[in-house]
This record gives sequence, C-alpha cells and structure tokens, in this order.
Amino acid sequence: MSGDKQQVSRRQFLNYTLTGVGGFMAAGIMVPMLRMAVDPVLKTSGHGDFANVNLAVDDITKDPQRVEWEIEQVDGWYKSNVKKAAWVYKNDEGDIIALSPICKHLGCVVTWEGSDQHPNEFFCPCHDGRYYKSGVNVEGTPPTAPLDMYEKKVENGMLYLGEVKPHKEA
Amino acid sequence: MKWTKTDLAQFLQAQEYVDTILIPLIPFQFSQEKDMEKEASQSEWVSLFAMGIEKELAGRVMLVPSYHYLKSADKQMEIERLNDWMANIQAQPFKHIFYLTMDGAWKKEEGALTGNLLWFPMMYDYKNDSGTGDLLQEQIDQVIEVIRTFWA
Repeated sequence: MSGDKQQVSRRQFLNYTLTGVGGFMAAGIMVPMLRMAVDPVLKTSGHGDFANVNLAVDDITKDPQRVEWEIEQVDGWYKSNVKKAAWVYKNDEGDIIALSPICKHLGCVVTWEGSDQHPNEFFCPCHDGRYYKSGVNVEGTPPTAPLDMYEKKVENGMLYLGEVKPHKEA
Repeated sequence: MKWTKTDLAQFLQAQEYVDTILIPLIPFQFSQEKDMEKEASQSEWVSLFAMGIEKELAGRVMLVPSYHYLKSADKQMEIERLNDWMANIQAQPFKHIFYLTMDGAWKKEEGALTGNLLWFPMMYDYKNDSGTGDLLQEQIDQVIEVIRTFWA
C-alpha cells in the first residue's frame, strides 16, 4: 500500500461519472428546447429587406404609376403573403419617388388623379383627402401628414423597394 | 375597418368619419351534397371580396362579421333577424349599409332589407378555382365605384 497516492474509491468514481454523463444528457435535451423557445428572436429580422417590384428604372416616367408586389410576412411562426403597393415616378430632378398609397387620415387607398376636379394630385376616395405630387398633404383636407415613402434602391436597372418611412418633409 | 380590437380603437376615435357598414351574407348547408362545394367556394369569394373592399376604403367602411344562414331557411325570418342586427348597428351613426352576397335569393327580398343589397353572380370556374387575382381586383374596383356613388 503506497500511502501517498490519492485513492479514488469505487463510490466516488461512480458518482463522478454518473454526474458527468447525466449532465451531458440533460444539456442535450435542454439546449434544443431552449433554442426552440427563443427561435423567433434568433431569426434575422426582415428589416431592411428590399423586394423587386418588377419595374425597370427606364420605365419610370414623370407620371406616377401604381406598382404592386407581394412579400412574405413572418409573425412569430406564422407566415403570410402580404400585398404591397406604391406610386412610383421620377420628380423634376430625375430622382425616383415611391410613395405609399395609404392615406394618412384613416388608411384608405389613394389614387393618382382619382378625382376629375383635382388633376395632378393624389386623391383619397373616402373623405376627399388630397396630396400634391410630392406626397405632401393639401392644407384644408382631412390628412394631417404627407404620404409615407418607401426606401428604395436600384440594382441591374430594376427598382427595389423596402421599408416604409415617414415622408422626408414631414 | 374591421371588427378587431385595434381597428375598433381607431373607430372610436373617428366615428364621425366612418359612416358605411359592409356585411357579407353567406349561406351554408350540409344537406345537398352536390351544392356544397359551390357554396363553400362562394363563401370564400364573398369573403375575399369584402376584405378587398375594406382594404381600399378602410377609413370609411366598417366590415362587420359575416351573416351566416342556412341556405334553405325561410328568408322572412332571416330578414327580420338581419334588420335587428342593423337596428343595433345604427346605435352608431352609420348612414350607409351594404350587403354583399352571391346568393341570388336575396335579390327578390331586397326591398325588405334596411340598406342596399350588392348581389353579383359567380364569375369564375369554381371547380378549378381559376378566378385570377386581377379579375377579382377589377370587380372590387367596380363595386367601390358603386359604393362611392352613394357617398356623393
């Protein structure tokens, strides 16, 4: 019997190994569960995603035209396709403007020259709200803010639209 | 606006601007097997239609929960019940009521209803579900024009 050697008893050895193996097994079970519980947080958010709206930059004129596209909206685990729309035109400086068609009054959909009495303006059919071509609301009509604008970028001659932002003149 | 919490919160802030009620009339039945698919399809289309109109005119139109009834039920009874609904709805200052349906049986009873009936026939092949989105949108735009003539 060499007294200076640290002896590990059979009981201690079994305790250590069982705790170790049990710990691994518990972790193996818990980690996927935890991951699943926080899954939506880990997903990269759709913010800043741009969608191709199938409009070539060369086809954009000074007259606003309506473009529509679909995006996949993810709400937690629930995925749905949402239709989006915009009024797109080039202003006098040649910059592309993409306005949201949602009226800032109560959320109806505005149309370009939607009223014969008000040419060269966006018109809301619900309460006769009006906006100038720039998207700025006409004083004295129900809307109190200019139409929102889409973030935009151009790639390979095609127009991509992203998030809606408040009008820069708001 | 729809019968949802967020929309109603907005509605209660802006009651004076929302003066139009839109209510889909949707029949169902399980006793005539050969008509079941057709009627379910009608139900889906009327709902799509109603949502399409609500989306365009969200600030002035309130889309209320659909009115479902048995296809074979006595229309007089249904009319009485519908008019009860409308009497209650008019506790709020709604000026225009539009019923939206593909069930032609309502057309004859139109006069007894409080409000206006918008009946339209099926315009697609329900067996193949080949109503295209553009066709639907065009029809929605036309119905919106009709509703706007009542506002003018």
